Amino acid sequence: MIRALFTALGPENSGPLRRLLALLAVSSVLQGVTYALLVPLMEAILGPGPGSAWPWFGVVAVSGLSAAAATWTAQTAAFRTGSDLARVLHHRLGDKIVQLPLGWFDRTRVGELSRMNSQSVPQVMNVPAHLLRPAVTAVLTPLTVVAVMPLFDVRIALTLVVSLPLLAVILRWSNRMVERADRDRHASIDEAAGRVVEFAQAQPVLRAFGRAGGDGALDRALAGQGAADRAMLWRAVPGLVAFGFAVRAVFAAVLIVGVHAALGGSLAAPALPALLILTARFAEPLSAAAGLGASMRISANSLASINRVLAVEPLPEPARPVVPASADVEFRAVTFGYGDGPVLREVSFTMPERTMTALVGPSGAGKTTVARLLARFWDVSGGQVRIGGVDVRDIATEDLMALVSFVFQDVYLFEGSLADNIRVGRPGASDEEVLRAASAAGLDEVVAALPRGIDTPVGEAGTLLSGGQRQRVSIARALLKDAPIVVLDEATAALDPENDAVVQAAVASLAGRRTLLVIAHRLRTVQAADQILVLNEGRITERGRHEELLDAGGTYSRFWQERSRTRGWHLTGAAGQGGG
Amino acid sequence: MKPPVFAQMLAPVRGRLAVAVLLQALAAVAGVVPMIAVSEVAAALLGGGARPERVWWLVAAGTAAVLVSLLCAAAASTVAHVADNALQLRLRRDLVRHLARVPLGWFSATNSGQVKKVVQDDIHSMHYLVAHTLLDVTSVVLTPVTALAYLLGVDWRLALVTLLPLAAGLALFARAMSGAGPLMAEYGRAAGEINSSVVEFVDGIAVVKTFGGARGAHQRFIRAADAFHDFFSRWSRRTTGVTTASQLAVSPVVVLIVVLGTGLAMIGAGWMPATDIVPFALLAPVIPAPVSGIGTRIQALRGGDTAAKSVTALLAEPVMPRPSDPEAPGEGGVRLRGVGFSYDGAAEVLSGVDLDLAPGTVTALVGPSGAGKSTLAKLVARFFDVTEGSITIGGVDVRRIDPAALYRTVGFVFQEVALLRGTVADNIRLARPDAPLEEVERAARAAQIHDRIQALPRGYDSEVGVDAEFSGGEAQRISIARALLADTPVLVLDEATAYADPHSEARIQQALSAVAAGRTLLVIAHRLATVREADQIVVLDSGRVVEKGRHAELLARGGRYARMWRAQEPAQESRRTDTVVETP
Repeated sequence: MIRALFTALGPENSGPLRRLLALLAVSSVLQGVTYALLVPLMEAILGPGPGSAWPWFGVVAVSGLSAAAATWTAQTAAFRTGSDLARVLHHRLGDKIVQLPLGWFDRTRVGELSRMNSQSVPQVMNVPAHLLRPAVTAVLTPLTVVAVMPLFDVRIALTLVVSLPLLAVILRWSNRMVERADRDRHASIDEAAGRVVEFAQAQPVLRAFGRAGGDGALDRALAGQGAADRAMLWRAVPGLVAFGFAVRAVFAAVLIVGVHAALGGSLAAPALPALLILTARFAEPLSAAAGLGASMRISANSLASINRVLAVEPLPEPARPVVPASADVEFRAVTFGYGDGPVLREVSFTMPERTMTALVGPSGAGKTTVARLLARFWDVSGGQVRIGGVDVRDIATEDLMALVSFVFQDVYLFEGSLADNIRVGRPGASDEEVLRAASAAGLDEVVAALPRGIDTPVGEAGTLLSGGQRQRVSIARALLKDAPIVVLDEATAALDPENDAVVQAAVASLAGRRTLLVIAHRLRTVQAADQILVLNEGRITERGRHEELLDAGGTYSRFWQERSRTRGWHLTGAAGQGGG
Repeated sequence: MKPPVFAQMLAPVRGRLAVAVLLQALAAVAGVVPMIAVSEVAAALLGGGARPERVWWLVAAGTAAVLVSLLCAAAASTVAHVADNALQLRLRRDLVRHLARVPLGWFSATNSGQVKKVVQDDIHSMHYLVAHTLLDVTSVVLTPVTALAYLLGVDWRLALVTLLPLAAGLALFARAMSGAGPLMAEYGRAAGEINSSVVEFVDGIAVVKTFGGARGAHQRFIRAADAFHDFFSRWSRRTTGVTTASQLAVSPVVVLIVVLGTGLAMIGAGWMPATDIVPFALLAPVIPAPVSGIGTRIQALRGGDTAAKSVTALLAEPVMPRPSDPEAPGEGGVRLRGVGFSYDGAAEVLSGVDLDLAPGTVTALVGPSGAGKSTLAKLVARFFDVTEGSITIGGVDVRRIDPAALYRTVGFVFQEVALLRGTVADNIRLARPDAPLEEVERAARAAQIHDRIQALPRGYDSEVGVDAEFSGGEAQRISIARALLADTPVLVLDEATAYADPHSEARIQQALSAVAAGRTLLVIAHRLATVREADQIVVLDSGRVVEKGRHAELLARGGRYARMWRAQEPAQESRRTDTVVETP
């Protein structure tokens, strides 16, 4: 846990944490010493002349107040360290997010990062402030007590020395029991959570088919979660009880050993209560520590996930970045995989400046991956991606991003007005330029319908706009950015004829002016392309112009023949026969 | 502190919780007994001439009390956890049942993450309140009270002195918390800033990076984080002193110094015998201990309370009323009369819609996006209730039809396919969980997906997402098989489905033709060419029916539909090109 904290902080920020730990150690040991000094004090009080106890009380008071002063300093430092730690973590995560390759950010990662910044970091902030002190005290104070005990009574000291490793073993065992039970439970929690999300997302379908009543899979998952929780309870109870029992058993053992010695006359009567008081002080921090297990585990998990992100290697930046002179794109024998088997194998092609290339192929063929590698979302595992003859790995990230513009399938809208969202394409653009881009992207009607026109806030995640309209915002951004290379994914545009027209217009306006890579589905796009690449299972199986490929009579021509048949399809009237 | 809603929520497990509290009370009292036994042992030994049997009896009593306390505490915690477990399942089921009846619009306005938060996370947050805090409070109150009662019996004056650190601790804690209300709100605001900046930074990372805005978003995030931390350090700097002082006031070291010093003076003054100091040395640190954990407990209570409130709020979401004596939908078509609808009560999505769907005919809904086509289609299946007018099926208002009977009457093929986790067969069986496999296969065959399923490692028993991955178009055909198996007389169809996956368009179209055959069909149409043969084409604009008729009539009229048709003319051109392509 402490090691994880140091890792999260990084070497340059670990000084305060080290100082805090030292302070906590001092305060815990002083506390143990004060408890130990209670023995002579109590012996003096209970001895023949209680008045002789005052000097001992003085010693206890001095030691106790120094312990209190140390605790004060430590606790103040702990609050500060906690808050500094959280700040450092936010900064380090922020810096890391900027460096991480775009390919790293899939949907689950994005959710995880949001949670990490909003929940895990504040959670970790609590560690120095609330968890570290009891944890250090729980270890060092009892150890100090054990260390000084032989000065007073060897038998009781022996009892404690024997018990310590036992306690440690039982604590380890009980923590492991709880942890294991907890882990088993996670599977059922994830299953239930998944079903709940499915329940909410698939609500229209569930209702349409009369299955929204919460019967079936969701209910089974909820019941399963309940059963797993109960099972965890039965498995965790022995573990939880065991440590509490052990701590109390140690106290009982000391009591029995002490009483035996006192009755036998080998222990002075005043010494026994004094030693039992000390033993009670020995046990108290231990009992307190047992209750920290759950918070410790949660914080440790949070820290571990933060450290995992901080440990991800960013794509290396070139030492001597080169600025490409042209917007030619070349893939040279590019091989790439996300981990489980290659997605692209030996893909080679060139896209001369100001030409248009269409990528076609079944879903899963690797079309999106080609587009992503072009902008170095990932580094290739074999071969080279070159722009203007320069390997993308030798181009500074910022320069590379300035070269390429994207029209995404999945459009993210920021809070702010529609104009702000378009201006993302080029922050310095004038109002007029923004309006022109909006108009070119077919947003005129949308702007006219909005209450405050282009200055209307789009609402969180653009709830005001439909999917097609959002994609048009993406097109407007790309048009405004006006980068030399444009990557455009037609996929969702296929749904809506209005959007289709906009996408076609955008393609037409860019063709011949920019290097254009289109993941294409529409016939007209493909026909207009200077080159068509047919991608299948990660390989380019055919390439050429539309007519050439049709003549070749391969996959491409079969594919387009089928596509053209579907054009004429329609649903018929009362006769109820479909056909085309 | 706990609102009555929370008490109401606990009602089903109140008995078990009472037992748990009782056990915990026993445990708390028994937990103090060993210390009392030790004090008595000390007194007996120091008094001189103690009979060993009595001393051993006391030791035995103390040890037994340890055991009793431990067992009672374990039992209390177990009972409370079991009760909490039952309560969680019950609340989750209540929530799910309730959610199944709220209008569908609620789901589109609320994301699924929100539902998951309440059903899973909030119920879990309440766990601490139910299974821990109740017992915790019992023990934290009763342990010091028992100890104090005993000490009062030993020496009431010194017992009162042991209360001083408690009083000081509480007073300091109160000072630390004073003005916390507005500060908590400020804290929430600052934390919210981080949240929204991180969402923008991370969710929009692709946009941010490719458009070179990474530095700006990064700076906004860092600024929000810094503002939060500046605020938080200011706050904690102001309260650290008082908080730490309150913790120190109740720490065992300080308590012992206060009590032993006073005790020593009292012994010196002859106010009490020296042996009476022993129980104080043992028990005094117990008395102010509750203060040390008070902050975390209040936080837990607050968290649990917030969670309970959001659970209650969700359970209070208005549901669509169920008919008290439902009627069976009659034979015949669907009829809409003066239908008006608004999601929020302000903006009208539909108004004054009159429409008849004759049995066995095809009706197409066309119009620009946002005209209300999907909303209208969803009203027929009563995903929402109309705000004006009525919808009848075979003469019976949909609001008077039993929900179970309604879904057997109206089927859906959606544009967004939702395959559920589970076997492929179960996915097709959605509407009829007990349909035999032959029927499932027949539906799959008609939906052009049977061969694909057969090719899977476990055929129809393959699990979606485990050993069955489907492309968009394949998933569409499964959803069509679903509708075929459901075999409802009325079917709502989103024509966009046909284009969801350009690579399997042809097969989807074949499947759609199969499912459309012989039903009363309502088609949400995007490409006019698809529905030019429909029995009736309804043009919607801004929630109103602007034109109605057959393709030829509407073209001849030269109105809105004719304009739309012409606007899609390029598409017609491309079809002509395709025809050329077909015969190269």
